[in-house]
Amino acid sequence: MASIKLKGDTSGEITIQAPSVAGTNTLNLQASSGTLATTAQASVGTKNLIINGDMRIDQRNAGASVTVNANSVFYPVDRLHTVGVGSAGVFTAQQVSDAPDGADKSLKFTVTTTASSGAYRFHYNIEGNHVAHLGFGQSWAKTFTLSFWVKSSVTGTYSGSFRNSAHNRSYVFEYTINTANTWERKTITVAADTTGTWLTDNGSGLKIIWGLASTSSGTAGSWQSANYFTSTNQTEWIATSGATFYISQVQLEVGTEATPFENRMYSTELAMCQRYYEKSYSDGTAPATSTAYTAGMSTLINGYTSSIYVLANTYFKVAKRASATMAYWDAAGNSGKVTYITGGGLSQVNNVSAVYAFTGSEKMALMNILGASTYNYCFHWTASAEL
Amino acid sequence: MYKLIRTINKVAPQVVIRTADNAFIPFDPANTDYQEYLEWVAEGNQPEPADE
Repeated sequence: MASIKLKGDTSGEITIQAPSVAGTNTLNLQASSGTLATTAQASVGTKNLIINGDMRIDQRNAGASVTVNANSVFYPVDRLHTVGVGSAGVFTAQQVSDAPDGADKSLKFTVTTTASSGAYRFHYNIEGNHVAHLGFGQSWAKTFTLSFWVKSSVTGTYSGSFRNSAHNRSYVFEYTINTANTWERKTITVAADTTGTWLTDNGSGLKIIWGLASTSSGTAGSWQSANYFTSTNQTEWIATSGATFYISQVQLEVGTEATPFENRMYSTELAMCQRYYEKSYSDGTAPATSTAYTAGMSTLINGYTSSIYVLANTYFKVAKRASATMAYWDAAGNSGKVTYITGGGLSQVNNVSAVYAFTGSEKMALMNILGASTYNYCFHWTASAEL
Repeated sequence: MYKLIRTINKVAPQVVIRTADNAFIPFDPANTDYQEYLEWVAEGNQPEPADE
């Protein structure tokens, strides 16, 4: 068996070894610079553990801007959510077409009302089922790499953190925006935590925060028994009126290298998002939009006589990670209402109340008391099982 | 804010209504909306009673 050893300038070496069987084989390398993946990395299959990392899917808003003005959860795109601070700074978040080379979309944040500091940030939570192989809390825990493209009008040190679901273990990371209004790729490599409790089921297995201002700050670079969001060096992006911050091509993968972003098929990415959120509205139509009752609404045919309840079952396209929260609208976009259609003249009546629902991870059912023979009931819905 | 729903045809409610968006939240411990509801109740709040 022949081999070649390449020694580094200071320490370490790599051995390139020929197979110990007869035959001549040729290994062709690409005529470009780059890094070869090894079996230590998931070079094939789904290597990127982030869903919708390129911000292409926005089922909730269809590209419209979201105003983050309260200490609540907002989803400007699928899977990634923001949290604001009530009665203080305000910013917007929106899917836009300004993106780094090789991407089509990014998520843009814009300050509309300034604040000096605070818990302004955005999150991504990875399901435990999808990070079990990283070995969090185990002696064999693996090293992983987070990479993403960012662009901001405010330069300086930014930070974020990795946390467990119990919020009692966290690792603060830092990165630098070197040049204003210029796309830059950032990479964060971390050895997964070998202690603490980390979920490997349908709960949050790993939580990631990107800070937009300082809050709950700690020292960067090590796992700590604390619930840190940002570092003590975090730039107060929220303090600049009109400041912008873009992010796209977020990727988290096993190993020490930030390999090129994994571009998945749109249909695959959408289906992956639908494990956490799904809607009856057409792709590109935001919930609560007025539509024709024929536009894909869930329908119960032949409602029954009054005083008898009728039930409409709807099966999800993708099973949810948990029983889903169900919101629904009539054809006119009235929240918490259904539409019924009289059988004879196809007359449409909106704003009809429903009274009960069953929801699960694979289907849901809406119950109505205002049934009458020959009536057809229909409604639009969303099913949310976000982390 | 939240609102309870009444028992119908002897079927005990399996959901609670979130009044902000009229959404039905299932009683599933893994559902984060339900977790928020439980935290809200633990803070001493009470949901509106069900319609008769």
